[in-house]
Amino acid sequence: MSDSSFNSLGVKVVFASSCDENHPPENIMDGNTKTFWTSTGMFPQEFVIRFPEPTRVAAVTVESYNGTKTVVTINSTHCPGSVMKFERTERHLQLNTLSLNGSSAVHLRFVIASGHDHFVSVHRVTVKT
Amino acid sequence: MRKLQMQKDHKLLFSTVFIPVHAGDAAVGKSSLSHIFYSGGSLFQKNYNMTAGVELLMKCVNIPETNDTVELYILDSAGKETLAEGCEKMWGEPSLVCLVFDLTNEQSFVNCSGWMERVRTHCQGLRVSGVLVGNKSDLSARREVQASVAKEWAQSQGLEYHETSAKEMENCDAPFLSVARAFYSLYNEHLETVRNLSPG
Ligand SMILES: Nc1nc2c(ncn2[C@@H]2O[C@H](COP(=O)(O)OP(=O)(O)OP(=O)(O)O)[C@@H](O)[C@H]2O)c(=O)[nH]1
Ligand SMILES: [Mg+2]
Repeated sequence: MSDSSFNSLGVKVVFASSCDENHPPENIMDGNTKTFWTSTGMFPQEFVIRFPEPTRVAAVTVESYNGTKTVVTINSTHCPGSVMKFERTERHLQLNTLSLNGSSAVHLRFVIASGHDHFVSVHRVTVKT
Repeated sequence: MRKLQMQKDHKLLFSTVFIPVHAGDAAVGKSSLSHIFYSGGSLFQKNYNMTAGVELLMKCVNIPETNDTVELYILDSAGKETLAEGCEKMWGEPSLVCLVFDLTNEQSFVNCSGWMERVRTHCQGLRVSGVLVGNKSDLSARREVQASVAKEWAQSQGLEYHETSAKEMENCDAPFLSVARAFYSLYNEHLETVRNLSPG
């Protein structure tokens, strides 16, 4: 078991539904909560990350702001996905972990269904393998 | 050509959905306004074509004194009561609103509160900003709503007030530019908050 940021596992963000070039999707996996990716438009918003090879994922942790509900899907979009519910926070990040029970993943898709405000930001995603 | 060039040195930053919502009876001029803004002032339809569903128009707006462009998605919705409900499903959680009434039809102004209520329901407690537009200012002899009254109500709702004439193509860009600016400032407020967050 190791706890590592996506970057050290060679994981990349391969899709994001918004892009402000000052706050690009790469910021999600740079291991730094000071940098972030932000939505720039309406919900839903989503991003997809890709592992360099099939990887057994124990859990995934999302540090974000303003999100309410995020659906995480492994690989195919056919299965319903697991729902993460985010509590509202003031002046500090939301920290939420989803257990994936060692499922094998190449892609993880995060769909942020709604927000506590018009915009949502994602500061760091970490995986436990 | 010119448009493309303008966008070259502007970065495309944001996208939003923006809804001209209609008040009261149909035919206040929502579609006329949206089309004039969209086409850059090339066509005014004298004949009335009722909007039956939702028409989606997209236009990029450069924010003055910045290098940023806001991508506006305009959802031109049907005003006719029996069709409006179906349109609402398309709204999602709108960030902004453009409420249009007919200056020569007081009832259409009165009905604006009802439309605002509907928008609020969709926004699920989020702050709603945007514009109130009094259209058909060319028909000054038939005016039923005074600018001061409309302005006061708009302010009480957190909306900016504009008067337009789609027919004379007067002031038609102003409400849309104002919405783009409102969106831009919401976004900057958000960035400010996010930069000052502490860890979870
Ligand atoms: N005189 C005058 N007529 C206008 C103006 N704007 C729109 N009209 C006319 O008003 C009628 C209705 O305009 P639309 O833009 O179709 O109205 P709408 O609000 O989209 O109506 P719905 O789609 O049914 O909700 C048309 O006949 C237009 O030509 C205006 O500024 N001045
Ligand atoms: Mg119409």
